[in-house]
Amino acid sequence: MKRAAIKPIYISMGMFAVLVGAFTAGDGNFLSAYNAQTILNAVAILLAVGLGQTCVIMTGGIDLSVGSIMSLVSVVFMLVIGRLGAWAFPFVLVVGLASGALNGVIVSRLRIPSFIGTLGTQGILLSLAYLLSASPLSVPENSYGVVDIVNGQVGPIKSVWMIGLATFMVFFVLQRFTRIGRGIIYIGANERMSYLSGLDIDKARLVSFAMSGLGAAIAGIVLSSTLYSGYPSIGGVYVLNSIAVVVVGGTAMTGGAGGMLNTLVGALIMGILNNGMTVVGIDVYAQQVFLGILVIVAVAVTFDRTKLAIIK
Amino acid sequence: MSEAILELRGISKSFPGVAALKSVDLRVDRNEILGLVGENGAGKSTLMKVVIGFYRADEGKYLLRGEEVALGGPDDAIRAGVGMVFQEGCMVPNLSVMDNLFLANERGFARGPLIDRKRMAEAARAQLEEVGLGSLDPRTSVGGLPASRKQMIEIARLLWLSKLYGSENPVLILDEPTTVLQESETEMLFRILGELKKRASIIFISHRLEEVVSLSDRIVVLKDGVVVSDLERGKADVPSIERLMVGHELAAEHYRETMQAGPRGVVALSVRDLSLSGKFEGFSLDLREGEIVGLVGLLGSGKEDVCRCLGGSEAPSSGSISIRGRVSRFSSPKDAIAAGIGVIPIDRRNEGLATSLDVASNINLLVLSRMRRGPFLSPALERKSALKWISECMIKTPSPQTACATLSGGNQQKVVIAKWLAAEAGILVLDHPTRGIDVGAKDEIYRRIRELSAAGLSIIVMCDTLEEDIGLSDRILVMKDGRTVREIPCPRGGKPTPLDVIGYVV
Repeated sequence: MKRAAIKPIYISMGMFAVLVGAFTAGDGNFLSAYNAQTILNAVAILLAVGLGQTCVIMTGGIDLSVGSIMSLVSVVFMLVIGRLGAWAFPFVLVVGLASGALNGVIVSRLRIPSFIGTLGTQGILLSLAYLLSASPLSVPENSYGVVDIVNGQVGPIKSVWMIGLATFMVFFVLQRFTRIGRGIIYIGANERMSYLSGLDIDKARLVSFAMSGLGAAIAGIVLSSTLYSGYPSIGGVYVLNSIAVVVVGGTAMTGGAGGMLNTLVGALIMGILNNGMTVVGIDVYAQQVFLGILVIVAVAVTFDRTKLAIIK
Repeated sequence: MSEAILELRGISKSFPGVAALKSVDLRVDRNEILGLVGENGAGKSTLMKVVIGFYRADEGKYLLRGEEVALGGPDDAIRAGVGMVFQEGCMVPNLSVMDNLFLANERGFARGPLIDRKRMAEAARAQLEEVGLGSLDPRTSVGGLPASRKQMIEIARLLWLSKLYGSENPVLILDEPTTVLQESETEMLFRILGELKKRASIIFISHRLEEVVSLSDRIVVLKDGVVVSDLERGKADVPSIERLMVGHELAAEHYRETMQAGPRGVVALSVRDLSLSGKFEGFSLDLREGEIVGLVGLLGSGKEDVCRCLGGSEAPSSGSISIRGRVSRFSSPKDAIAAGIGVIPIDRRNEGLATSLDVASNINLLVLSRMRRGPFLSPALERKSALKWISECMIKTPSPQTACATLSGGNQQKVVIAKWLAAEAGILVLDHPTRGIDVGAKDEIYRRIRELSAAGLSIIVMCDTLEEDIGLSDRILVMKDGRTVREIPCPRGGKPTPLDVIGYVV
C-alpha cells in the first residue's frame, strides 16, 4: 500500500498561513480592520467566479468565458436596473445561467473541447456586451437603493461577505449532497467508467457550465455594485484569476480531485496575495511575476503528473 | 549447432501481484524462424517486450551476438538490429508509405536543410521491392492500405533500419501477424519470411499452431511465465504442443468446484441470433438463474464484442436480447444497467473504477438515488452502505474514505464487484475477473462467484486461462472467428480437460 500523500488542501492552508505571516511582518497595517475588509470584499468576488470555475475544472474542462459573462452581466445589470429595480438581480442571474448553459450545450452536444468552445463564446459574449454599450454605464440616479442592497451591511457584517458565503454554501451543497454534483466528480475522475456505469455525462457537463455561468453572474453583480458602474472590460482579468483561485486551492486541472472547500482557501490566498503585495510595497508591474510563480507552483504541487507520458 | 544471435538467460520479470516471467531462457539462432506459443497470459508479450527493450528484466542476462547488452528502450533495440512488427501496425496513418518507412531517419535524404523527396521515393521503392511490394507507390498514404500491406511495410522498415545501423542478421519479431490476414496473404507472408530467413532471424508468435508447426525451425512453448519446452522442427506436432500449452491436469478444488450449484430456475437472459457486422454472427444463448456460462475464444474471436453488446456499450446490427422474457434494446450502458445487466470490465483502472476517488464513492456510484434523505444525499446512509459492502466483499481497506488507487489489484476488483452487487444486477458479465490478481485474492473471487451463482445470479465469464473458464463454468461456449463453434457442458465432477477444448479454440 502506498503512503498517502499530503492532501493538496493542507498545502494550500499552509500557504495561506505563510502569506498572512509574511505580509504582517512586512507591514503592520496588513492586519488592520480596514485592510481586512478590503481583502474580504475582493475575496467574495474571486470566490463567486472561482466556485463556478471549480464546477467545470472538476469535470476536467475549463471555462474561459467567465470574464465575458461577468462583463455582459455588469452591462445588462446597469441597463435594466432602472426599469426592473430589485428584479434586476434575478434577471441578470438568468443571463449568467443561460450563457453558461450555452457553453454546456456547445461542449456536450456539439462535442467541442471546452478550451475551444468557451474561447469562442468568450468572444461572442464580450462582443454582445460591447454592442449593448461600448462606454461605461453608471447606476441611474433612482436606483442607488437597489445597488446598496449589495453594498450595505448588517452590524459589522457586510452584505458582500454574506453573498460570498451564501454562494459558497450553495455550491458546497451542490457538490457534496446532490447526485448531479457527484456526477461532476465522477466524470472528472473517470469519464469512460462513468459512461459504462450509466451516468448521464452530457447532463453533468451542462450543469457544470451553467453553474459556472451563475458564479460569474454573481461575481459580476457584486463587482459592478461596488463600483457603481458596468462596462465591457470589467471581467477580463477574472478569467486568469478564477483559474488561479481553483488551482491554488489544490483542485486538479485534470478533474476529479478537489472541490469547493479548496476554492474557498484558494480565494483567500489570492485575495491576500493581491492585497498584501500592494501593502508591503511591491511594484504593481512586478506583482504579476509573483502571481505567475504561485500558479505554476500550485499546479506543480497538486497535479499528479506521474501517470502522464507527455505533457502538452 | 548453429550460432546464437540473441540469447536470454534466466530472465525474470514481475509486476505488482504477479510474476510474469520466471527465469526464462530463450535462444534465437542465425537464419532461424523461431515459433513462440503459449496461452493468453502465458508471458509471451512480456517476454517480447523484454527482447525489444520496452521492459527491463528484474533478473537475467541479455546477450546479442555473444555480448551482454543493456537496452535502454526500443530505439536501442532497433539500433542493435532487434525490432518488432505489431499486429495492427504501428504507423502514422495520414503519412505516405515512404514517410513511414523513413520516419525519424530522414536525415540521410537531406539536401541542405530540405529533404530530397525524389531520392527518398527511390530508396523506398528499392526497399519495398525486397518484401515483394515493388508495385506499391511509395507516395500512397498508409491509412487506406490493407493490414497485410502495413505489416510488410513495417518489415521493410525494420530491414532498412538494420542496414542503416549496419547490423547483420537482424532479429524480427512478428506478433500474431496472420490473424489480420486473408489466406492468400498469409501464404505470401510465409513465402517472404522464407526468403528473409537467409539474412535475418525471425521470432514468430501465433495462436494458429498449424502455421507455427509448418513455418518454424524450432518451437518454444511458454506457460505461466516458464519455458516448458523447446522443440526442434519435426519433433513438434499440433496435439503435443497443445498438451504442453495447457500443462498439468487441473485440480478440481482450485475453482471451488464443490460449491458449484449449477443452473436453476427460469431463463434470465435470452439472446437470439445476435450479430455485429464484422465482429460476430448468429450468437444465441439461454442463461438461467444461477448459471455460469464461460465464453471461450481467442482475442478477436468475437467474445468481447458479444459482451459489449450485452452491456449496451455497442449496438448489435441484428438479433434480439430478452431479459426475463422482455425484449430489450440497449442504446447505452444506462439501458443495460436499468435492465439488470452489470459488466465488470477487464480494464479495471480505466473502465471499472475512479481510482482517484475513495472506496465509498466507487461502491455507491450506481445507488446514489437510494442514499437520499429528502432532496439531499445523506453521508450517513452512504457510509452505512459502503461499510456493508466492504465487509460483505471482504475488501481490505483502512477506511471507506481511502482512495482506490492505494488498494491492491485484488481489492480494487472487489470494489468493482461490490459496486455492481450494490446495484442488485441480476446478470453479471465478468470480463477477466482475475486479471492481474494474486493467488489468494483469486480464490476469494472464485468463492464470491460461486456464492453469487448460488444466490441465483446469472453469470457470463471470460477468463485468463482455459482452465479457469472450465473450472468456473457450468458450460462453455467456444467462439472462433465470430461464430459459436461448440458448446461444452462442464458440470461438477464431469469437467472436460483444457486439452479437450483447446482444439476447438485455435
